[in-house]
Amino acid sequence: MKKFNILDLCIEIETKTSFHCEVYDGIHGDHTILIKPNQLKPVIDVILESFEYCHLSAITVQQRNDQPDEIEVFYNFWSGSGFSLMLKLPVESAKLPSIISTIPGADFYEREAAEMFGIEFTGRNETPPLLLPDDWDQGPPFIAKKEKNG
Amino acid sequence: MIKSLFNLLVFPGFLFLVMSGLTFEWLDRKFLARFQRRVGPPWYQPLADLIKLFSKEDLLPKNANDFLAALLPLVSLASVLTAGLYVPIAGYKAFSFEGDLIVIIFLMSVPTLAYYLAGIISLGIYSVLGGGRSLLQFFSYEVPLLIALSGPAILGGSWSVSTIMEAQVNLGPFILFQPLGFILAVIGLIGKLKRDPFDIPKAKSEVVGGSLTEFSGPTLGFWNLVMDIQAVIGIFLLIDLYFGWTKMSHPSLAIIIFIIECLILVLILSGTSAIFARLRIDQLAGLGWRILVPLALLQLGLIILMGN
Amino acid sequence: MDKISIPIGPQHPLLKEPLSMMVDIAGEKVLGGSLRLGYVHRGIERLAQQRTYVQNVHLIERICGICSHVHTTAYCYAVEALLGIEIPPRAQYIRALMCELERIHSHLLWLGILAKHIGLETIFMHTWHDREMALDIMEEISGGRVSHAANQIGGVRFDLDEEHIDMIRGILKKLHSQVDGLVDIIETEPAAMARTKGVAPISPDMIKAYGVVGPVARASGVDIDLRRDAPLPPYDQLEVKVVTHPGGDAWARTFVRAEETRVSLNLCEKILEDLPEGDVSLRTPRRVPEGEVIIRAEAPRGELFYYLRSDGSDKPARLKVRTPTLATLSLLPVQLAEINVADIPVVLAGVDLCIACADR
Repeated sequence: MKKFNILDLCIEIETKTSFHCEVYDGIHGDHTILIKPNQLKPVIDVILESFEYCHLSAITVQQRNDQPDEIEVFYNFWSGSGFSLMLKLPVESAKLPSIISTIPGADFYEREAAEMFGIEFTGRNETPPLLLPDDWDQGPPFIAKKEKNG
Repeated sequence: MIKSLFNLLVFPGFLFLVMSGLTFEWLDRKFLARFQRRVGPPWYQPLADLIKLFSKEDLLPKNANDFLAALLPLVSLASVLTAGLYVPIAGYKAFSFEGDLIVIIFLMSVPTLAYYLAGIISLGIYSVLGGGRSLLQFFSYEVPLLIALSGPAILGGSWSVSTIMEAQVNLGPFILFQPLGFILAVIGLIGKLKRDPFDIPKAKSEVVGGSLTEFSGPTLGFWNLVMDIQAVIGIFLLIDLYFGWTKMSHPSLAIIIFIIECLILVLILSGTSAIFARLRIDQLAGLGWRILVPLALLQLGLIILMGN
Repeated sequence: MDKISIPIGPQHPLLKEPLSMMVDIAGEKVLGGSLRLGYVHRGIERLAQQRTYVQNVHLIERICGICSHVHTTAYCYAVEALLGIEIPPRAQYIRALMCELERIHSHLLWLGILAKHIGLETIFMHTWHDREMALDIMEEISGGRVSHAANQIGGVRFDLDEEHIDMIRGILKKLHSQVDGLVDIIETEPAAMARTKGVAPISPDMIKAYGVVGPVARASGVDIDLRRDAPLPPYDQLEVKVVTHPGGDAWARTFVRAEETRVSLNLCEKILEDLPEGDVSLRTPRRVPEGEVIIRAEAPRGELFYYLRSDGSDKPARLKVRTPTLATLSLLPVQLAEINVADIPVVLAGVDLCIACADR
């Protein structure tokens, strides 16, 4: 496999989609590119074209306790070495386009992200829960509960 | 009168067949265990299992017909016990008449039909699937079995098992003349008994328990007894038809030889169980009709030529 | 023929762990199926946020019974990366030895289950009997047959002395000859081939699209193996032979896993030969500095993905685990279309389910 270079990938994305890519250095071990939610599908198309072999390893979601208003979503890929796409979404109305039409394997990961963090994936028929029971009524388990006012 | 009652109830009737059935089950499980590097159950295990089953409750799904479900194994048990009366044991004939081979084969098929019906009336999904498979399997092994079993009848000149057995005293054991027929008969027996490699109706990974998935308690106990007795009658029948009866100076020597022949057959049955994998139903149908039936017809042809 | 839906699970003789599938069949043909996970969901990721890093080693081990060591290995490497330390080489080699032994025992377990499902009960009994030898080695080393608690942050918990190593070598030699015999049988047994050849083929494009990893991917010709592509130490110094097969059907998966067992046995012997001297652990601070890290490891079933974020306290801020079985399960409903009912056990055995891993 070709030696992976994150800057090459950024150049590919910028040429093909004219989005500007920021490289995020926070993660030890994987190169990460920061993008906006509406850029997700085109960037993924570019990624799938650029590499001979590439698969989606996981969709990781987290809420930083020092920034409780937003959640971060990582799309982790593997193609000879690992790299990720990072997006930031507001907690209250987290919406992302679903990528199951291009990567069917993302189905389980999207369902888990939806039930655990309350993210809404647009473009899918339904997002049934994956791991939580059918009668779970206590809301997304990972989102810090807000104190009720008055 | 007393002799008839003795034959019906003790030997070779009810008590003897039940005891032989349980012994067969023990030998089979022990041989299988030793092939698989395990220890195997102690000698009283099949009897203990039977007693345990009879002490449990009979439960079936709500809408299943309890009466029929209880009746089917009893009818099967009656059929196989009746069939057992006509099979000579080590030369001792209890009852016989011309044509009893056909009656035996017919009576031995009653449990197969009852097994299918038991699956249907117990209303579970797995039972229905298993029952259907058992009937499909029946069509694949029964024809070669019947053709193979008519070989000894032709050579012995009669359709009575006792006469065939006695004919071998003069002519020699029929297995020497029709080894192929013997092999086909053994394969047919394995199919009839629903043992590996033909245990498709009972394949645990696919249909959980087959027709008997929902059964428990005394009804299941009777079914297990039917299966065991079917096995021993099959073994005795094969020995009588293919090994015959060696006229010995002392009758107990004949008994010992009979026992040894039984053990050899049990070993063959356990060995094939241990070695072979389960076939798929379409592979079994292919095997039955494309390979076994032509071979059986070939063997029959050879015997007819030999007879002339 | 009418269409009927049969439930497989949550309890079924086919399944080692609870999984609910509804399979639609018509006669002997399967039309399709759907799955429902979550019967063994324990909320490990959420629980990990409430326990310290050291307590989490014990929690992570219990994600799965069959591949427990590789989970803790990945977690410990992640924490050590955040701490910025490198553990002594002897500890790295011992971690790899336990990983390979685990791979052997997992594949032997799988081989037995496959044989049992196609009716070769004798091979099942023999395989699990030989698997006990691998478990004996692990018990001698760590004190536990399946739950080893071998790892700690900073190294491993125990050391091996000369007597231990000789004993391990002896058992490995016996195991190697037994496994060679078993693998030869399963690769040439006509019944096994008849039941598995041509069943549920998967193309490399499907593998990529569904993100399937591990032996299932290698059995479709896709050449990925994290021990060679992203090696955790000491795999960068060991040469790992990657087994692939272009077939893509159940037979190819059988072949790949059987050969991988042999490769792992050779690796174990090499690790014992090259075992360096030194300590087996380092002292580590309780608080982990801020940072995020991603570690990937090659579990017996494929790529294990760990994301760990620390916020400077002694408890992790976020732990994300993606197990290989989750990826392979997403392909299962697709595999279930257009096969015979009798092939369902073969397909399930080919996936090599570890639902506890998938559910976490």
